Order: sequence, then C-alpha cells, then structure tokens
Amino acid sequence: MHIPDGVLSPGVCLGTAAIAVVGLQQAFRHLDQSLATRTVPLTGMVAALVFAGQMVNFPIGLPASGHLIGGALATILLGPRGACVALSLVLFVQMALFSDGGKFAYGANVVNMALVAPWTAWLVFQAIRSRFPSPRGNLVAGMLAAWCSVLASAACFCLQFWLSYPAGAFPLSRVWLLMAGFHSLIGVGEALITGGILSVVLIQRPDLVQAPHPVPSAKVRSVIGAGVVAALLIAAFLAPFASELPDGLEKVAQETGFDSRVAPASPILLEDYSVPLPGTQTEDPLWSKVATALAGLLGTTTVLLLSWLLSRGMASRVKSTEELHAG
Amino acid sequence: MRADFLDRYARGVTCCHRLAPRVKLWAVLGFLLVVMATPLSHWPLLGLAGCLVAAGLTLAEIPRQYVVQRVAWLLPPVLGLALAGPLSRGPSEGWELALLISLRSVLSFLAGLWLVNTTPFEPLLQSLAEIGLPQRFVELLAFMYRYCFVVFDELVRMRTAQRARTVSPPSLWQVWRDATNLLGMLLIRSLNRAERIHGAMCSRGWTGRLPKNQS
Repeated sequence: MHIPDGVLSPGVCLGTAAIAVVGLQQAFRHLDQSLATRTVPLTGMVAALVFAGQMVNFPIGLPASGHLIGGALATILLGPRGACVALSLVLFVQMALFSDGGKFAYGANVVNMALVAPWTAWLVFQAIRSRFPSPRGNLVAGMLAAWCSVLASAACFCLQFWLSYPAGAFPLSRVWLLMAGFHSLIGVGEALITGGILSVVLIQRPDLVQAPHPVPSAKVRSVIGAGVVAALLIAAFLAPFASELPDGLEKVAQETGFDSRVAPASPILLEDYSVPLPGTQTEDPLWSKVATALAGLLGTTTVLLLSWLLSRGMASRVKSTEELHAG
Repeated sequence: MRADFLDRYARGVTCCHRLAPRVKLWAVLGFLLVVMATPLSHWPLLGLAGCLVAAGLTLAEIPRQYVVQRVAWLLPPVLGLALAGPLSRGPSEGWELALLISLRSVLSFLAGLWLVNTTPFEPLLQSLAEIGLPQRFVELLAFMYRYCFVVFDELVRMRTAQRARTVSPPSLWQVWRDATNLLGMLLIRSLNRAERIHGAMCSRGWTGRLPKNQS
C-alpha cells in the first residue's frame, strides 16, 4: 500500500503534500493543547506498536501472507488526531529505514493512511458504538471501522492515481475495480486481526479504548458521520453502475482545459487521447460493475459475520473472567 | 538487542557511508526529481540513472540478494497498477506508460534503498531537521525509534515463550488466534510500560516537551 516515487505525478505529490501538512498541523495543535503530559510518550509507543505489529505475519494458506495495517487500531487507542500523528510517524520510519514509500509520495501516503484512514475509522467506530456501547458493540464497531478505513484509503489512492495521468490513460472505474477487489480481501484480514487484538484489550484493559467525547450533540454528529460513511461506501461501490462519475469527471477535465494543459508535459500520451476512442464508453462491461459492487457487499457481509462470531466468543470469555473475579 | 535488522547495512564503512548525510539526501532528492521528470523518449537518461544507482549500491557493498528481494516485494503492486492501462484498453495501448511507471518506481525505490542503507537513522533525522522538519515531529520520532527496539525485544521474547508452550504444529485458525492474542498482550504490556516510563519521566521533571538545549 505504500506508494513509491514515480507512480504519482509531481503535481499530485505537491497537492497531497499540502493537504498532509494542513491535516498534520491540526493534529499536532491538538496534541500540544492536550493537558495530559503522557500524550507524547503514549503516541510514540502506539506508533512503535503499530510498526512492530506489522512485522507479525498472518499466513493465509498461500505463499503470500498478511499483516496488520493498524490504522483503525491506532484510532481506537488514541482518537483520530493522535492516530494521525502516530501513523505519520510509522510511515516516516518505514520510509527512512526501509525505503518503503517514496520521499515525494510521502504526502500522498500520509493523506491515504494517516488522515483518511483514521478519520474514516473514527466516524464508523463512534457511529456504531454510540448505539451499542457494550464490549460486543465495541468489537463489531472496531472491526467494521478497520474494514472501512482500508477501503477509504484505497479509494483515495485511486483518485490520486487517476489524477496523475492525462484523462483517459487509466479509466477510473477500472483502477477502482482492481483496487476494490484486492482491498476487500485485505480489509477482511485487517478487520479480523484488529478484532482479535481488540477482544484481548476489551477483556483485559477496557479503559484503554478511547471513551467517546462527552459532547451533547454527539448523537447528532454520529448520525451525520454514519450518513457520510454510508453515502461514501454506496457512492464508491455503486458509482460504476451509474458510470456517470468517471466520465463526468473526465468531461469536466476536458471542458476546463485541464487535460490539454497536461498533454504537452507527457508527449507519449498525446495520440492516446487526441484520437477519440469509440470503444471506451461501451467497453466497460457489466461484469466489472457487478464485480465491484459484489466485492463491497461480500466484504461488508463477511466482516459483519466474522465480528458477530468473534464477539460471541468474547462475550463468553468476559463472563468467565467475571466469574473468576467474583469467585 | 535483537532488532538489529532494522538498520543492519546502515552501519557499514564504505565511501558511501562516509559521505555527509546532507549531501546524500540532496543527491537522492535531485535524482528522484530527474527520474520523475524524464519521459520515455529520453530513455538514455533513465539508463544512465540505472547505472548510477547500480554503481552506488555496489560501492556501498549492499548484498545483491537483499536488493533483489526488496525489489521483488515492490514489483507486484506496481506492475498491477501499471498494467491496468493496457489491460483495460486492449493490448495495443498503454504499454509505454506502463513501462515508464514501472521503471520510474523501481529506480526511485533503489535510490531510496541506497540512501537508507548508507545512512543511520539519527544523522538522517538531523539533516532532515535542518531542512525544516518540525521540531515536534523530530521529538516524537526520537521516542518512537527508541520504543521500536524495546517493543521488538518484547515481541521476540513473547514469541519464544509462545513457541515453547506449543506442542503440536498449530492449525491455520490457531496460528491466527495465537498471533492476535500475542499482539493484544504486547499492546497491553507496551502501554503499561509507556505509563511506567511516563511516571519516571514526570518524577524527573518532564513537562510534556523535550528541553530545548537537548541535542
């Protein structure tokens, strides 16, 4: 998921870097204003934990194996702003120690994995747990948050990738199909790992899970948050059906002269889209749309099912721990 | 310390390692800019960049096997993305763009690999701070870097203990259950440790920020 240099265009790198600076400044200001002196060591420790956690391999029965990404986990422990800081630290160390992720693409990586992922996770997590505050509700909320955060950062990357090349070089719906297919699987794995870790934490130290802010309008906010997330998910997975979105965006690009300005910079692509391609509009077959929507639907259902199963197991463990303490 | 693989090659003694970190940083940034701006029609320039990187990696005595292994991990996602063009548009188009994207990302990755494997973390951080990395960020990075080794050592100890307790080869489900339990316990232990460290820091006059004159 780390974007290397050379994949995104310099313009997109600059734009995402600006967004990253603004987002991180806001997160750091929050860190400075927090009265607890423990935020600095705690943020550093969670960053180190996420970094170490990514080293533990989870076999999937194939030569490849999965690992924790940690966006949702950091958010659940630190809140969205703390998680932004911690995850940008993780990304930085991965860049400076392993050369994972490009130097110029650092801004884009921060936007995808340290801003979009934690905020999405936070919205989903809060929206669900405000209605179901029990440990089981927390677990389901955490797992769904993990799944959504993975897909949100994948969607964000698609947009950046698509914006990096002249209109028509990569059809947005196709790139999204590719990414959504992969990341539905990755997201289910991430949800499972996050859920497994969370069930241990919820039994042993439930106080570590971030308490919801005591804001009177929390309910209204969480409803809005849930609405936004639901809308985003529906838009992402159903947009290929409407198929107006990618074409619409491309049309806007043509009308504003955006793509004619891009054209001279990359001469290879000139003939690619100065010739009107008759095939591109009708070429998008139905199955790719069905596949994208199915990936979303199947992923969400799987995560819900798995979280329900895991939370059942956890409930019995909570009970036995309580009986142990009572006895 | 068992986590030495984090920066195993950065502590070499070749001429590349002796270069000033700031020089290396600027050289790599310039290299990346050139690679990102070169179109495929100027392929000799890309070839030259490739030779340069190969020379750098050889001079720094970074094992070839390690480099190949890292590139092999990078390639699948990059190729998948680059080929999205030709695959969705018919076999006649988009190949040049796909080639360009793959070449650029591999060259940039190798340049980054050379930089991080010839420069230890602290000097690199220092030269980044001189360029303008915020002080707050550097403070937190220092904490995190220190904790990384602590957490890794704890992780290795816990895994050893877990293996010692496991008698028969576990099933796939048991591996997942054990690994998530391990990570959950690691998390609780590490956060407990962070609280203890924080208490110790407070008793030594910690106010929430590092003192200014600390180097």
